Amino acid sequence: MDPLAGMDDSSTDDDTSSQATEDDPQVPENQAPPPATAPVPPPVPAAGPREKPHYALRHTLRGHTQSISAVKFSPDGKLLASCGAEKVVKIWSPETGEFLRNLSGHTQGLSDISWSSDSVYLASASDDTTIRIWDVETGMTHKLLKGHTKWVFCLNYNTVSNLLVSGGCDGDVRIWNAARGKCMKTLHAHMDYVTAVHFNKDASLIVSCALDGLIRIWNTSDGQCLKTLAEGHDAICQHVQFSPNSKYILSTAHDSTIRLWDYQTTRCLKVYKGHVNAKYCISACFSVTGGKWIVAGSEDHKTYIWDLQTREIVQVLEGHTDIVVAVATHPSQNMIATGSIDSDLAIRIWVDPPVGGS
Amino acid sequence: MNESLINPFTLSHPTAVQTSLFAGATFAKFDPTGRFIASAARLAFSVQIWDLETRAPIRWLDGHVKAITNIDWSRNSRYLLTSSRDWNAIIWDLSSPCDPPQRHGSLRFDAPVVSAYFHPKNSQIILALLATGEAYVCDLRKQNRSRIELLETITDEGIEEEENNGQGVMRSPMTVARFDPTGKNIFVGTASGSILVFNTRTKTMIARHKISGAGAMKGFDFAKSGRRLVSNSSDRTLRQFILPSYSNPPTDTELLEQSQPPFLDLELEPTHRFNDPINRTAWHAMCYSPDGDWLAGGAADPSGHKIYIWDISNDGQLASPLDGGREPLLHLHWHPTRSLLASTTNMGNILIWHHPNPERWGAFAGGFEEVDENVEYEEREDEFDIEDEEVQFQRKMKAEEEEVDIDTIVTGAQAAVLGGLGTLSGNMGGAATPIGTGPSGNYSMDIDKLGSGMGDDIEAAWAEEEPDTDIRGAWKMKVIMDSEEASEYY
Repeated sequence: MDPLAGMDDSSTDDDTSSQATEDDPQVPENQAPPPATAPVPPPVPAAGPREKPHYALRHTLRGHTQSISAVKFSPDGKLLASCGAEKVVKIWSPETGEFLRNLSGHTQGLSDISWSSDSVYLASASDDTTIRIWDVETGMTHKLLKGHTKWVFCLNYNTVSNLLVSGGCDGDVRIWNAARGKCMKTLHAHMDYVTAVHFNKDASLIVSCALDGLIRIWNTSDGQCLKTLAEGHDAICQHVQFSPNSKYILSTAHDSTIRLWDYQTTRCLKVYKGHVNAKYCISACFSVTGGKWIVAGSEDHKTYIWDLQTREIVQVLEGHTDIVVAVATHPSQNMIATGSIDSDLAIRIWVDPPVGGS
Repeated sequence: MNESLINPFTLSHPTAVQTSLFAGATFAKFDPTGRFIASAARLAFSVQIWDLETRAPIRWLDGHVKAITNIDWSRNSRYLLTSSRDWNAIIWDLSSPCDPPQRHGSLRFDAPVVSAYFHPKNSQIILALLATGEAYVCDLRKQNRSRIELLETITDEGIEEEENNGQGVMRSPMTVARFDPTGKNIFVGTASGSILVFNTRTKTMIARHKISGAGAMKGFDFAKSGRRLVSNSSDRTLRQFILPSYSNPPTDTELLEQSQPPFLDLELEPTHRFNDPINRTAWHAMCYSPDGDWLAGGAADPSGHKIYIWDISNDGQLASPLDGGREPLLHLHWHPTRSLLASTTNMGNILIWHHPNPERWGAFAGGFEEVDENVEYEEREDEFDIEDEEVQFQRKMKAEEEEVDIDTIVTGAQAAVLGGLGTLSGNMGGAATPIGTGPSGNYSMDIDKLGSGMGDDIEAAWAEEEPDTDIRGAWKMKVIMDSEEASEYY
């Protein structure tokens, strides 16, 4: 890196000096300042190879006895929640890696969890067709949401956390009043399992995707379908979410591809490849705390990190001994949590030490 | 931010009732963020806050002992100001976690309070109007703590005239008092049909407009730009005025020299008059749309719930009358950013009007677009040419090189500036108007442009001394849920 920078320096110096000599041979005496300033610009081209993440394993959290389906950091960053096929939600401290408590009450396995924005409540989607909203501090069920006719597969709060959206295996998307626990609206959204639902930032739109291969965008207030995105061929999409500013959506599909869409123009802007994803519902997420990355699990037991802009794989996290289906990024620190299915059953927490640390 | 996807055509006015809230209210107002509605309960003398998304009441403010006459929200919705016939005005802090929230402050007057408003830039400056026809500016800031009555300047000729009539100096009672959207000036309507303009900082009268034939003033509403005013008066006519630019008040030294500061005495001619030519019904309330292109008037018709919408951008033509059923209308308010209206019936129900989008079935099919008419398709010359896959791939990869921005949030105000809409001037683009400046304002009249001179900066600086604690995103509404059985209703 440094030798290269030096090379750049010398070449630019040569250029300027040669030009100067052509113009006026006496000027080089006055050209003293440019060589002094010249070393300053090169670091910019030298930084051309973008900075890369350096995530390293910090904790391995063991305790789940059946496949993990989701891990989520609380919005205040103090807690990590995980769920799996074993009917309980587990709360961990991401900082120390210690297990804090179980939230138990569901009678079937769990598929997804979501934190309210104040980090007080946690909603969980279960195969017992209900959603429970938990008071995380006390571990008690705050509300029990009944209405889905089949397994509930995915859910999310909106930013102000007065609404909850959930998707079920009957193809329905339901919008709930989170404070009262009542279903406000049912959208007969898809023909197959709804595998992901997500609100945009101001909760005016919902994006959903299902195993019927379609991504649909809905108007929250009147429940109308506004747009359908489909990649066309065998790209069955199984996870979808809005970008942090809600300008784009990120989808993962069963052709081992993650796509970033501009949903206004229905254009696929970026394609991220290199991982293996043909069978399981594997989520991806944005990482914006350090560099801008896309993070996703893979069926080859690894976790991949791509550069958002260049679409290159910048780091591969190895350590899990089975398929990584769940990933989450910390809201304010360079921290990633990954969860794996049966035979590994561990959650691993990876951190990128800040510059000057380590 | 998603208006273009939700409604690909221009933002239109509401046309149909979406929901009604059984509030038992006398009037209801949206908050500046557009997430809540505050309604004044008729019987309990309390205020209810509703969540517009879940359509459920989330807070109750109980403190008055007589009817509530007006509700005003602070600019980022944290504080609520209620005025009541019980001679009090109360400031509520909605971030308070206790239920009912404690009073943040209260002001006591010597007569029933007709209305009380927050200064648009600082919720510690309050304009109150009493039933006796007096208006007060109450400054609650530590440095400027004061309560000053707004007094109409009576000219010498006027005094002589009055003396000839054998009466003392009589000022006409004030019937309306409002800040303009910048907070620089206060507009006061009087029972004798004039509009008085006061400077907020100096509390001196800077202009008087006689409105011929108007009778007593009943209400004002401003377009967001602050250059257009609509007035309601006892002659059952709504008048729209384009306001002149007001000179800045004289400095304090000049004031000392002159016992009577000069003011602009000008008769204003309305650009439009709106009335009901057949039934001559009066108006209970009127409200501009967020972009100022529409004006909604609520008719004081005892036999039905009628709202008239006029298209201001199209020379004030009547766009459509809305019929809300048999319960007469008491009040109406337009949502700060969206095409939504809240009208209150005399039975206490709040009707939420919206603009229903026609269902677009084409949206259910991927890569399919509905067109209104058949389009003759013209094939491009090279449309079906076989292209080298390698070239195609290269082009795709090139397109993907484009940088994307996933986490910069463009707010409404920024979007308007980026869009070059130019409806905002320097002092409007600040914290005072963070809403309602979204991309919907494609249409902008030249008159909506505000001239910002040195004087405006002084006024703004004065108002922003000792800023209040109403900061966007720095507080959160605590949601209170009532008992389980009540939840069945909503």
